[in-house]
Amino acid sequence: MAKLAWRNLTQQPLRFAISAGGVALAVVLILAMSGVFAGSEEHAVLYMRNQPAELWGMQAGVSNLHMSSSILSEETVQQIQQFPGVEQAIGVLYASAGVDVGETEIYSYVIGIDPNAPYGGPWSLVEGNGSPGLNEIAIDRDLAYRYGLTLGDTVSILGYPLTITGLSEGTFGIATNVVFVNKTAMALLMDVSPQSASYVLIEPKTDTNVNSLENALNSTIRDANIMSRANFIGSDQEMIRQMGADILQMMNVIAYIIGLLIIGITVYTATLERAREFGVLKAIGANTRQLVSTVFIQSYLIAGIGFSAGIGLAYLVSILVARLSPEILILIEPRQWLSQLPVLVIVTGVASLLPVQRIRSIDPLIVFKA
Amino acid sequence: MHTNYSLELIQINKIYGSGATEVRAVDSVDLQVNPGEIVLIMGPSGSGKTTLLSIAGLLLRPTSGTIHVNGISTSILNENELARIRLESIGFVFQAYNLIASLTARENIQLVMNMAGARDHKAQERSQELLALLGLEERANHLPADLSGGQKQRVAIARALANDAQLILADEPTGNLDSKTGYEVMELLCCGLDREKGRSIVIVTHDHRLTDIADRVLWLEDGQLQENAVGMM
Repeated sequence: MAKLAWRNLTQQPLRFAISAGGVALAVVLILAMSGVFAGSEEHAVLYMRNQPAELWGMQAGVSNLHMSSSILSEETVQQIQQFPGVEQAIGVLYASAGVDVGETEIYSYVIGIDPNAPYGGPWSLVEGNGSPGLNEIAIDRDLAYRYGLTLGDTVSILGYPLTITGLSEGTFGIATNVVFVNKTAMALLMDVSPQSASYVLIEPKTDTNVNSLENALNSTIRDANIMSRANFIGSDQEMIRQMGADILQMMNVIAYIIGLLIIGITVYTATLERAREFGVLKAIGANTRQLVSTVFIQSYLIAGIGFSAGIGLAYLVSILVARLSPEILILIEPRQWLSQLPVLVIVTGVASLLPVQRIRSIDPLIVFKA
Repeated sequence: MHTNYSLELIQINKIYGSGATEVRAVDSVDLQVNPGEIVLIMGPSGSGKTTLLSIAGLLLRPTSGTIHVNGISTSILNENELARIRLESIGFVFQAYNLIASLTARENIQLVMNMAGARDHKAQERSQELLALLGLEERANHLPADLSGGQKQRVAIARALANDAQLILADEPTGNLDSKTGYEVMELLCCGLDREKGRSIVIVTHDHRLTDIADRVLWLEDGQLQENAVGMM
């Protein structure tokens, strides 16, 4: 019956292609949307991922970098820096603000770094200097390219002009644009001590157990919350995921309804067109299981081919988008499309129910009609 | 109850509607077909021939009466059990051929064998044998749309014979064929193929020339079946 199902579909190659293509588009929509969100999640944590700090200190009660406000006093920062087992602890200031490029304001995460600190700044510098002086800024290369900026040009934050002295990469995304400024200058803007910090990037000594150090810091320094890098990243990703979950879920539902309709209509039309042949099969002895299996095979062939094509197309789209718009990272991983498989199996089964019902009602006496 | 007939109909009635609109399509029909016998059922249009054939082929349940196919009583069987008997014990030949358009001649023949559980190589061997017997070897890989009417009907006959059914039911098998082709096809079915296997054939037709190849000719009129139809034609 598999051969019959295949032939029934391929006898109308255009309709088959449209059907499988429709399913493929629905799959692309699902994967691209979830890929954009996954990409945003990844972009958002690139700063944390690329710093050598295994522990991150922040104000007590804070557990995120994004959408958060954290300030640790000069004393607390010093306490962390001098804590037994800590090799280095680099304080950075952090705030979200608009970077003005001419008339355009670009929402950015501004990180104030100490130019003499061994880390905390851009992890990949393409051009210039990654340790900005008082009136300097390092911005992303793709951002600079998009707005026609180059080293020596000026942008401003809260009306303060800053000269671009460094171009970084991997710091520009649709949801997150990270720029680096001088920590002392930023402290003045924020009206805080230059020795205070929003976050402290802690590098433990090599012979120190990281978990024990985290626990010791947390139990000793009450004003601070110390998190491992993995937990800090996970916490931010979870927050971003929750922000996008409803939209993603809605898009998935829409895409699945489209897929359901495409598969259902195609198989139902194919069944209607071949009602007489199904009647003939009934007459010459096909049982219900064999007839129903023909319908299901047709449905799952469309869904399977559409799904496979959709995965391929989604990867292609992610590559094309990365070339055309580097700030949009579409991150597609096997777990994403594997997780869609059970839903697709159920949707395809549901789409087959109407054609199956139609087949069951076909009268085999149709064979006697000329 | 087991009988020795290939097909036995006992007091078959088929009534449509009720009261003033009641139509008795088949009226108290008794019929016994012996193994190897060729029975021709003739009659005017609307006499109930196709209804009777549908009942004999287990496609339509009678209002009352009993049907035995190869000695098996079918009255209490469910739809899937009836389908199994149709698949294994009855071969159908229709006026409109009713081949599956998307399958080649060979695949149409193999399909019924696969449906009955035959393995692919067995089905291929048997279909090759039947195609050769029916002179269709060169058309084996053609779709029905590329076959002539006579060739289509020969494929339909091969399909009916594929599972070695002991009973063939044919509904106006020459209806869409010119007289010469029609007669050749029926000669193949009735005289040329596997007659030694004791296969019975029941043919419903208007074609008077087929009386030459029949062992018995019956006349159906107003749903009633009468023997010795020669004088009524």
